[in-house]
Amino acid sequence: MKKIRLQVNGTWRSGWAAPGQTLLEFLRTELDCTEVKHGCGKGDCGACTVILNGMAVDSCLVLSLQVDGSAVVTAKGLGTKENPHPLQKAFIETGAFQCGFCTPGMILSAKALLDTNPQPTKAEIRRGLSGNLCRCTGYRKIEEAVAAAVDYSSKNHGSTEDSTH
Amino acid sequence: MQIRDHLFPSSLVEAVEMLHAEGGKARLIAGGTDLIREIRDQTNEFEVLVDISHIPGLDRIEKKGELICLGPLVTMAKAESSAMLKQDAPALAEACSWVGGPQIRNRATLAGNIVSAQPAADGAIALLALDARLKILGRLGERTLMLAESYAGVGRSHIDSSAEVISSIEWIAQHPGEVSAFRRMTKRKALALPQLNCAVWMSQTGNQCTAIRIALGPVAESPFRARQAEAFLLGKPLSLENLAACAAAACKEAQPRDSVLRGSGRYRKQIVAVIVRETLEQAANRLEGSQA
Repeated sequence: MKKIRLQVNGTWRSGWAAPGQTLLEFLRTELDCTEVKHGCGKGDCGACTVILNGMAVDSCLVLSLQVDGSAVVTAKGLGTKENPHPLQKAFIETGAFQCGFCTPGMILSAKALLDTNPQPTKAEIRRGLSGNLCRCTGYRKIEEAVAAAVDYSSKNHGSTEDSTH
Repeated sequence: MQIRDHLFPSSLVEAVEMLHAEGGKARLIAGGTDLIREIRDQTNEFEVLVDISHIPGLDRIEKKGELICLGPLVTMAKAESSAMLKQDAPALAEACSWVGGPQIRNRATLAGNIVSAQPAADGAIALLALDARLKILGRLGERTLMLAESYAGVGRSHIDSSAEVISSIEWIAQHPGEVSAFRRMTKRKALALPQLNCAVWMSQTGNQCTAIRIALGPVAESPFRARQAEAFLLGKPLSLENLAACAAAACKEAQPRDSVLRGSGRYRKQIVAVIVRETLEQAANRLEGSQA
């Protein structure tokens, strides 16, 4: 075991990491970040997506010891109930979820997309979300929600950046 | 097998020393998208990880003289978005854009795509058409190996990642009159294995095909060069008839197996003629476009 430090949603945190342990397991069990969902555990579903040093990754395919000193953003880093992130607001208003299990990963993939491409086309939104599976219903409302978040951001002259950056 | 240690060398030379010190019990890790699955499934036969992912400068895509050189940490995402590769090796940029989903492409490396030695690895199929060669660093120094010579069977590479590391992936940059293209058949548009994939590199002088390489997967134990089809087209004009006949020759020599995931061998063998023809036509169109 080794003590590692990483920034989670803008706050430095530390915990004990074991060789071979995934970032997903570390976040959930060591740092209680249960908003990061454990889906397939092998990079097929995207439920465990986090933003690692600015890039969307499957946290089940990253090892905890690899992230010592890194910055991780989870769904909790985007907004609060009182002051939701434009993506969160758009997902709620569009009704872009059913069971909600894929939602944190969907929102983080969308955020990673908008951070690099603030005005994506429909095709770019689909491609940006193509590493995330929803098993309840479908993707149409999810796509609509991301498009709506783009609209909110441009109308407010704001960005989809969260407060941690 | 339990992972006993996870080491972070500060250079490739140190990585090779660390691998040597473990006497075969360590494995090199870069993107980890294959290895971490092995660890999860407890099928891993290694107990130490030697991790090169924190070594700076290994993710470069550079032109050195007439060569294009990729470092061992170049990811699929980096390759697919590289302006140089899009221009100079479009088959490779396109192939990389098909691997997994965005999260996988942000981690998975081309070097890993080669060492994992799967017969349908999109990146490796494109690199085979580009006739890439590998620089491999071992304890006794650096050796050069053609990518085509690196395969030892399905999932088995002659590059021993318990002892050595790919330090560079290189090929001769495209000259005027040369072009590459890539196509893939798949059941879904993302997060899906290829049923077939094809990369073509060709050179044209006047109206004649003066050099051609056709790489196909998965139609053999390792990424496959359709040499009879290549021989057919060599020296001939790039007419639609000749491209179709060349694709038919590739269909004859390809040996796809029955696969639950990818489709029956009989079906895929027929489709080889289609995918090779489409890829050849795309390459020929690009040549025409570049001369217009």
